[in-house]
Amino acid sequence: MSIENFMQNAVTGWMAAHGEHSDIVMSTRIRLARNLRSYRFPIAFTEEESMAVDSAVSGALLDSEGGTYSYMKMADLPALERHVLVEKHLISPQLANPDRPGSVILSEDETVSVMVNEEDHIRIQCIYPGLQLKGAYKQADAVDDVLEKELSYAFDEDFGYLTSCPSNTGSGMRASVMMHLPALTMTKQINRIIPAISRLGIVVRGSYGEGSEAPGNVYQVSNQTTLGKTEQEILADLGNITERLIAHERKSRELLLAKSRIALENRLFRSLGTITYARLLPSSEAARCLSDVRLGIDLDIIHDVDMSILNELLIFMQPGFLQQYADGELTQEEMDICRAKLFRERLNVERASASSEGTEER
Amino acid sequence: MMICENCKERPASVILTRESMGEAIELQLCEKCAFQAQTLHVDPNQEPLSIQQFLSHWFGGAELFQAQQPQEAAHQGSECPTCGLTFLKFLDVGKFGCATCYDTFRGQLPRVLGKLHNGHAMHKGKIPVSFNKIYAVKKKIEAIRVKMQEAVEAERFEEAAALRDEANALKVRLADGGGESHVD
Ligand SMILES: [Zn+2]
Ligand SMILES: [Zn+2]
Repeated sequence: MSIENFMQNAVTGWMAAHGEHSDIVMSTRIRLARNLRSYRFPIAFTEEESMAVDSAVSGALLDSEGGTYSYMKMADLPALERHVLVEKHLISPQLANPDRPGSVILSEDETVSVMVNEEDHIRIQCIYPGLQLKGAYKQADAVDDVLEKELSYAFDEDFGYLTSCPSNTGSGMRASVMMHLPALTMTKQINRIIPAISRLGIVVRGSYGEGSEAPGNVYQVSNQTTLGKTEQEILADLGNITERLIAHERKSRELLLAKSRIALENRLFRSLGTITYARLLPSSEAARCLSDVRLGIDLDIIHDVDMSILNELLIFMQPGFLQQYADGELTQEEMDICRAKLFRERLNVERASASSEGTEER
Repeated sequence: MMICENCKERPASVILTRESMGEAIELQLCEKCAFQAQTLHVDPNQEPLSIQQFLSHWFGGAELFQAQQPQEAAHQGSECPTCGLTFLKFLDVGKFGCATCYDTFRGQLPRVLGKLHNGHAMHKGKIPVSFNKIYAVKKKIEAIRVKMQEAVEAERFEEAAALRDEANALKVRLADGGGESHVD
């Protein structure tokens, strides 16, 4: 497959580098957890119940919004495709397990994914590029309304939406923003900020899972509590913290530039060299270099690379995508080789087209 | 990734120690099998800190909860009629089995939920329109009253009067047995 075709098929809505503050906020995600009243939760339900839930949910969405959604059962999907859905952040690793009775309902542009029989019967998820808390919530809320019209939700006057895990009870809403915070990381300020923020009911973690280390300096900032605040209040609090983090990050970047411009430029250009020419590219190095190049673009130090390409590469450097691109299983070393090849092709394609439009460079 | 020792299907995410012939045996189970297991004890050293460990840290484990709360001993035995979960088992697994669990453990839940949600145990957000239209109207009136109080305190009397009219209109609709029209 040519690199252009591969990318075209694989790019999903939120990878586009637009939306508010898209230099620092990569994407916004809203997730709503819902359950049906008459069936036990997935941790305790029977196979018959799981099938009844699946057909009720998919029926409700596909009937009313028919055509715009597609339905996929996990057990019917090849392992690689499930893997790729996880890497695109469209489903959770938990749902991808084919031994569970899970399925996903995806909107055409992939901004909406509804997971069925994950930890809860229903998980509505909307991902938008940049900082768009209100927009993403509005869409998730609309999908929720569509489902609610057909289905009887487990809801309680005191406790709100009843969920499998008590940490989601209430609004069932988890709102998160993925932020690129290289300057706060380099200056180690992030270590002081994370505990301070957690006292405000907001959690910060590395974007790929629960661990605190953040590959590529990408952090996920999300609300920790779901009870006692309206959705709008939760979004406002999270939006506030996000804006403050953005301001802190911008300030730290200015400081780095003022204090050690040459050292910084040296590091950023070396990273650009690595991803453009390397023959072996381990994922940790790739993530670090992508972060540097992204920072270089933001600081107006690196000019001839497009930001949206970096968003794509951060996703495509993962094992599922690499194997899909290579059209087969890869060993660790083959993965590093393939990753380097993919980066070279993607960056060179872009540079070739950028320089052919302008004055001749080569 | 460890595979559950019981079903050998799902990934193991809970470590349980269980007494067997005077010996402690460690079991690595998935959440589903842990949910169904009879006697449970969560290993506090397991990483990362999951919801069940969070609960057992806060409450010092199910045993401590039992020791500290003799007055709640009566509830310990109450079992969810729909899924069979007991409160002690819930503290270990950290997950509910069904919507009825919330009713079964209603008395203990404000404490648990408060710990997890910065002291809050009452829902304030969205309400399904289909759930109960009258309930939705009541909540809306409550919210308007709070705003009205704020307006009065800030001496924005015109706004307060408008809010009062809005609340009264909703009350009339309630009295009519209404709530039929859309509430947002
Ligand atoms: Zn199991
Ligand atoms: Zn139950």
